[in-house]
Amino acid sequence: MLFFSFFKTLTNQVVTIELKNDIRIRGVLKSVDQYLNIKLDEVDVLDLDKYPHLSSVKNMFIRGSVVRYVVLPRSEVDVGLLEDATRREAANQVSKAR
Amino acid sequence: MSFFGFDTTLPGDRPGGNRGIFETPDPFAEVARAQLDARHDDDDDDAIDFEDTYDGLGDQLDDDQDAFNDDTFGGGGGGGGGDSAPVGKDFDFFGRTAQVSDVIGEEQVRYSLQHPQAVAGTSAVAAAPVAAATATATASMQKARRTGYEKYSDPDFIPDLQAKSSVWGYTQKHPAVVEPVAPAPAPAAQAIMTMQQARKMMSLEEVEAQLRNQVQRPQMAPPAVSRAPEFPQQLQRPPQMPVLPDGFPQLPPAELLRLEQQYQQQQAQFANSGLPSKQMMHHQPQMMPEPHSMHAHVPPAASMHAMPAQNAPQQVAQPPRGTQQPQHAARGSNGALPMITNPQQLMNLTEKQRVAYLVEDAKRAKRNHKIFLLSKGNGLMTPQDKNFITRIQLQQLVAAAGNMGDSDPEAILSEDFYYQVYSQIRGAPRQHPHQPLGHFAQTYLFQTGNRPSSHGGRRQFQSADNHMQRMQQQVQRAVEAAKAKPKNKQLIIEGSLGKISFSNAKAPKAILNIKRPDSADGIKPVHKKPHTELSVSDRKSILTNVENVYDALMMMEDMERTMPPPPEENDPEAIQRHLEWRQKIQALNQKLWQALKVMEPIVPGATTPHPFIAFLSYPKGKKAIPRIFRHIDQEQRVTILTMIVVHLDALDVVRRAHPVPGEVQPPPAVREAIELFSQAVMPSLLGYVNEAPFNIIIGLLGLVIAQTQVQVVAKTRIGLGILTMLLSRAEIVKEAGQAAERDWQQWVDKFNVLFDTLEPILADIFPGAINAGDDMYVWQFLAAIGIGASPEQQQRLVIAVKDRVMETVAYSKTLPADMSSQRLGNVNLFMRAIGLDVELLG
Repeated sequence: MLFFSFFKTLTNQVVTIELKNDIRIRGVLKSVDQYLNIKLDEVDVLDLDKYPHLSSVKNMFIRGSVVRYVVLPRSEVDVGLLEDATRREAANQVSKAR
Repeated sequence: MSFFGFDTTLPGDRPGGNRGIFETPDPFAEVARAQLDARHDDDDDDAIDFEDTYDGLGDQLDDDQDAFNDDTFGGGGGGGGGDSAPVGKDFDFFGRTAQVSDVIGEEQVRYSLQHPQAVAGTSAVAAAPVAAATATATASMQKARRTGYEKYSDPDFIPDLQAKSSVWGYTQKHPAVVEPVAPAPAPAAQAIMTMQQARKMMSLEEVEAQLRNQVQRPQMAPPAVSRAPEFPQQLQRPPQMPVLPDGFPQLPPAELLRLEQQYQQQQAQFANSGLPSKQMMHHQPQMMPEPHSMHAHVPPAASMHAMPAQNAPQQVAQPPRGTQQPQHAARGSNGALPMITNPQQLMNLTEKQRVAYLVEDAKRAKRNHKIFLLSKGNGLMTPQDKNFITRIQLQQLVAAAGNMGDSDPEAILSEDFYYQVYSQIRGAPRQHPHQPLGHFAQTYLFQTGNRPSSHGGRRQFQSADNHMQRMQQQVQRAVEAAKAKPKNKQLIIEGSLGKISFSNAKAPKAILNIKRPDSADGIKPVHKKPHTELSVSDRKSILTNVENVYDALMMMEDMERTMPPPPEENDPEAIQRHLEWRQKIQALNQKLWQALKVMEPIVPGATTPHPFIAFLSYPKGKKAIPRIFRHIDQEQRVTILTMIVVHLDALDVVRRAHPVPGEVQPPPAVREAIELFSQAVMPSLLGYVNEAPFNIIIGLLGLVIAQTQVQVVAKTRIGLGILTMLLSRAEIVKEAGQAAERDWQQWVDKFNVLFDTLEPILADIFPGAINAGDDMYVWQFLAAIGIGASPEQQQRLVIAVKDRVMETVAYSKTLPADMSSQRLGNVNLFMRAIGLDVELLG
């Protein structure tokens, strides 16, 4: 749930998403679910020359499994908090496994 | 049998009551007749004389014979039975009336349908009889002032309802509800019945309405009968309606629906061709739901709704039907334009107004059509159905109840820690940490439903908010339900080979199921043990130490949140709880202290740094210090401070802070570390030192002199910072007069040693050249040492740094005003400490 929790805090921020087929899309993250499916608004496809068919797409829903990277706005990430959250998550995993 | 517990059997259905309502003597027949007579006799007389209309039936009444009470009140036995059940105090007037009113309406429709020829004949001159009844106005004005009751004044007028498909759907689909008289009279009998039934059709309301109508002729119907116009308007459609063949009523419902739409289109065309009537448009919203009701399986209780038009006058107590709202809205939206009640009026309008009006009308028609299309699905799902679906959908989200930590805040915090805390910190959607149940759902819903973009508009937001509230409630219910029902993780259907596994948001279906090695005593420790023994201070073990510290810290922080309120004197239980809590927190404190490894013995000349110093060499370690300081006592703090001071020249921020020869500054990574140290660690230390007793300060200064290479330490920012800290604290203690004479002497001794040690390098403690960057901390240090120095020492001090002072003053003249004053201010910090001022330098 850490990633879900994390991405929830990034809603309404501009993120760049790189898909596994190399398409990179920049847009406003509207929502994310537990599968890390992503809804993007005000979409802006980088390298649009290569993907002209996407030129008219204004918003999209991206299935979580096709995402390779998400480029985050650095200022919106609380690193210290994220570290602690990661520690908690790890502790949770350990306690669950037992 | 019926939904509300009404007796839904109609009078005619009851044993012995096998008669239609209109076959009972009609008390108002005389009214109609008298009216008719009046019209025939004297066209100018537009008021109905009571004497003419009152047929004296009241006089004829025989109080002893209530033969027809059953018909009137719908009593049990029926008119002919005679053995009617006594009417109790709980007699349901409305219910009875509603039943009968249905029948009245049905009868009207049925009758009119039985006489299509008459309709065809009269529809063309529909307005004429109206004119006859209202002699005061011209024919065209009559038309203009149609109130909806005109047709009742003409016994020959038969409302044309052919296109009213709901009637057909209704009568065909619910024959049981329809008056059982239904068997159509033979065609031969029709002609005779026409007059008779038309006369009998007057109801009390209708007569009343007519009377009012004739006395006052308002555009709008009086409030008392405000609902009534809906009905007649409906019936006034025929004049514009193309005459339909006689066979029309027998068309199947689908065909009727099509015709209905066709008719609407025609209406729209009329509107465009400049021949519209507002009434035509107005009644459309009412038409809309009718085809729908025809298809829907209307339960008995809803049957009253199914015939809205006919029942409208009687159903005052019923909640307004949804479709009325569009109608009102349409009226309201038209506010800017004059009310138009007849085509004539439209003609009189200016071209512009007319166009606007027509456009408005067309819009309305379109909108109504849309509503109609959308309304097809109305009522397909009951609220329960919807709840059920919502629950299924939401269960996936909230199913944490199934396995994880239910609904307590701890579970939420552990599952959604980052988000929860982040939103608290950054002021995201408001939090209700004490209402954890709704909390998760609430914030989540708020997230998904929210449209923070400002162009969303207020209205939209509000409606969304409303929606959110409802959703929240539903989610709460859904969570309750999910909790109530423990969730199986697997379903094995009997007789099948496979199994179905369920997943939820928290525990998605595992695609790979890898078995973990059963315990930690397996192969791992064999690998690990020699490794850990090999290097106590290698990177990995240091990082592990840091993590241990953080674990302990987080446990303490969690513990702190659960701190019981301060116990009251006379509440042993609370005191007990508090004690237990203190014990726990004490245990955790010990754990943290162990993890910090501050107390590890200091090995002189060791090649590996002390574990705590190693801990501090990582950014994570530095960042932990402020948090650690919150959870430890003063003694532990002084221990940490001592440890740092002792190892001052071993600290990474001191050791590596010296620029490589030829470089002006230390490498960026080190600069970052220094920055972090001075931001994270120094304030904590300073916070302690500011409260520390004097003897500790003396001891610390002694340690610096004895244990570290002061000259090396003094050339770094952190080193100087710590020295400044100690010196200024001593000065404050002295100023406050808290220092004992003996202590002070001790301090002066130490200070002198420090001064003598530093004097030779005072010119070198500045970071590089004059323009190399921030040298404020140096001036602060010089000020601190200058203020505590003897006059002789001060002179030496001035001599040592004189060049730098002059340089800075000269340099600041080349700088912009604000930077210049900043640099001069720094210098002045020092100058004032020794009783001088930059101004004196000219």
